[in-house]
Amino acid sequence: MNRGGTKMTKRQLTLYFGPQHIGMVGNFSITLTVEGDTIQKAVANPGFLHRGFEKMLENCTYTQGFPYVCRINVMDPDPCEQVYAMAIEELAGLEVPPRAQYLRTMALEMSRLSSHLLWLWAYANELGFDTIGHWAMAQRDYFIDLFDMITGARVYHIYIWPGGVRRDIPTGFAEKMQQTLAGLEDSLRDYDAVFFDNRVFRRRVDGVGVLSQEEALRFGVTGGNLRATGLERDVRKEEPYAAYAEMDFEVPTMVGGDSYARAMVIRKEMEQSVFIVRQVLDKMPAGSAWRRPPNPFKWNIPAGETYVRMESARGELGVYAVSDGTDKIYRMAYRVPSYPHGILVLEKLLQGMNIADVGHMLLSLNVAAPEIDR
Amino acid sequence: MANVIRVVRTYTRGDHRGLILLDRADIKKALKDPHKWGEKYSLWVTYFCTGCGIIEIPPVITARWDAERFGVKPMATPRQANLFLITGYVSVKTLRAIIITYEQMPDPKYLVAFGSCPIDGGLYYTSYNTINHLDRYLPVDGWIAGCMPRPEAIFIAVTKLWKMIDGEMVDGYKRYRKNIDYYRKNQERVLGREFIESIPPPVTVET
Amino acid sequence: MREEAIKQGIEQRYESCLVTVPREKRVIISLPKDSLFSLIAFMKEQGFQHLSLITCVDWIKEGKFELVYHLATYQDGIHAIVKTRIDRANPTYQSMIPLFAHAQTYEREIHEMFGVEFVGNARLTPFLLTNWQEIPPMRKDFDTKEYSERMFEHE
Repeated sequence: MNRGGTKMTKRQLTLYFGPQHIGMVGNFSITLTVEGDTIQKAVANPGFLHRGFEKMLENCTYTQGFPYVCRINVMDPDPCEQVYAMAIEELAGLEVPPRAQYLRTMALEMSRLSSHLLWLWAYANELGFDTIGHWAMAQRDYFIDLFDMITGARVYHIYIWPGGVRRDIPTGFAEKMQQTLAGLEDSLRDYDAVFFDNRVFRRRVDGVGVLSQEEALRFGVTGGNLRATGLERDVRKEEPYAAYAEMDFEVPTMVGGDSYARAMVIRKEMEQSVFIVRQVLDKMPAGSAWRRPPNPFKWNIPAGETYVRMESARGELGVYAVSDGTDKIYRMAYRVPSYPHGILVLEKLLQGMNIADVGHMLLSLNVAAPEIDR
Repeated sequence: MANVIRVVRTYTRGDHRGLILLDRADIKKALKDPHKWGEKYSLWVTYFCTGCGIIEIPPVITARWDAERFGVKPMATPRQANLFLITGYVSVKTLRAIIITYEQMPDPKYLVAFGSCPIDGGLYYTSYNTINHLDRYLPVDGWIAGCMPRPEAIFIAVTKLWKMIDGEMVDGYKRYRKNIDYYRKNQERVLGREFIESIPPPVTVET
Repeated sequence: MREEAIKQGIEQRYESCLVTVPREKRVIISLPKDSLFSLIAFMKEQGFQHLSLITCVDWIKEGKFELVYHLATYQDGIHAIVKTRIDRANPTYQSMIPLFAHAQTYEREIHEMFGVEFVGNARLTPFLLTNWQEIPPMRKDFDTKEYSERMFEHE
């Protein structure tokens, strides 16, 4: 409204969302140019978590590289170990015993569940549902307890390694796991009642951040974000690894490509993961958990190259490994799912959006900042 | 942790049973120095996810481990916080951000380094983008070792910090002002002169 | 097998390429840099619509950088590794942005980490590093441990 002849002009401001921001999960920064409450331009600014993994790995032997790789993505650490092990097994021609494949499947699904529950904490907090955050985090901690039981560590497990897994499951583990899974299934009903079916949540996410299938394909989007646009693609079905070929599970897909679709894909994946872990416990074959590789102090891997991939909680995770016949890693390049999501897709979706939805978009796309930077 | 809460007496009123947690000596102690008492039991942490250690912070601040019973809760802005937890390794870009954040926090403030990476570089000591010794760039009041430290370790650290506050042993913020040249020299070496010159000088308020 | 059909299709079109099928769902193609762009355009038409990763390997002994493009099909999940070598002393190559829009970020990172110039990429701005004064860090002649000792002190 004009007041006595003065003209109201709009002013563009530059705001920094992060790295220190209550809505930022992970150390990431977005430079926003806003006019009023609308974002005109967003520039993603990664690099706060860059440790130079690919360079540090080149100084390591294949055995020494093993504690490094789980730290590439702190929220979902086991997939990075899995692709590392798969790459070395392919280059060196190692066979993995069937029991180890089942244990790997179980560890990977537990990691997926803990990543999804962490997402639920962050997402619910972002939209104002703090209670769900508390529930989800506490629920996740029971899975972390199970990891503690089999691997000895809460966060960085270093469990999946070339040749199998580091140790077999202890007695009493299967019962505790069944109890935790039953608890999660009960809780999922509560989450639905309070969060996913909530009118306020629906108003906040319906139609927000729409990514069409054609755009998703153009930007190299994989994982849950692609499945939310209607395309059913999952590396576990396309190129089964570990024991997934023997598992019976569905790949949840939604249409629409908005935040609601992405949230529901994650919600349904949690159910499927519970289903897969139950099958693993039922069908687990007997045998050893590890096939011993050659002398770990001097393990020359034949020269060659390979690309291995798997489905992490966020999408297609892969590693391109090049070996030169010595015992040191020549090149290991990680393909991480958050790379296209966190930079170009985020910048595109944020244009024209309200400031209140910046943190929302970051979490809706399930962007993991440590992955992007490595 | 056994020293944290002292149940002095229980009482029963109908079918309600209660606990008395402070006795006269405690109350006298608190009234003698209410400033320390208030500060200890309301350590508000600046919410900044600096490194991989951040993965243990959500469990600590939520229902299962519940840091709020220690008075510790996350705070959105550094201006309203008095504890800065550097969770994990510090890359060069992050160092820039944490220097600005630390200087935005009002005195008295405490900085606790969480994990083995701020101590000596940890697993990333050969990295070209992570610093190795945090206390050369910012004043550290306490260290929590581990990769990753467990939530129990964080609570033990908080209780130790209380004892240090009682004994007036945490003067990191005073050391920073006194030795600002030393810190600035190290910061400039890593971050460049242009950035250091762009930081506004810390305002000193005499207490 | 579809992988064999792809191999034959490429070998027919491009003479100086080397195609191998190491296992199911993998095709590795190596060819000179001048034919790479047209090969990738051809493969995109054949169904390789997903650009998974662009990376670079430093073959310092041979004085070459090897640019590696990872493409995949959505229909049957076949993953192709397409490689070419460029000169290490003066590394420059054309950008893949006309074919794949999100090649921009991968090329940006390779530019920062290896020093390769991508002609046609308007956004070769600093990406992960800040205040970086040395040679691009992923090159084999950059010693990360020595740099860390010098800059950040090991004790």
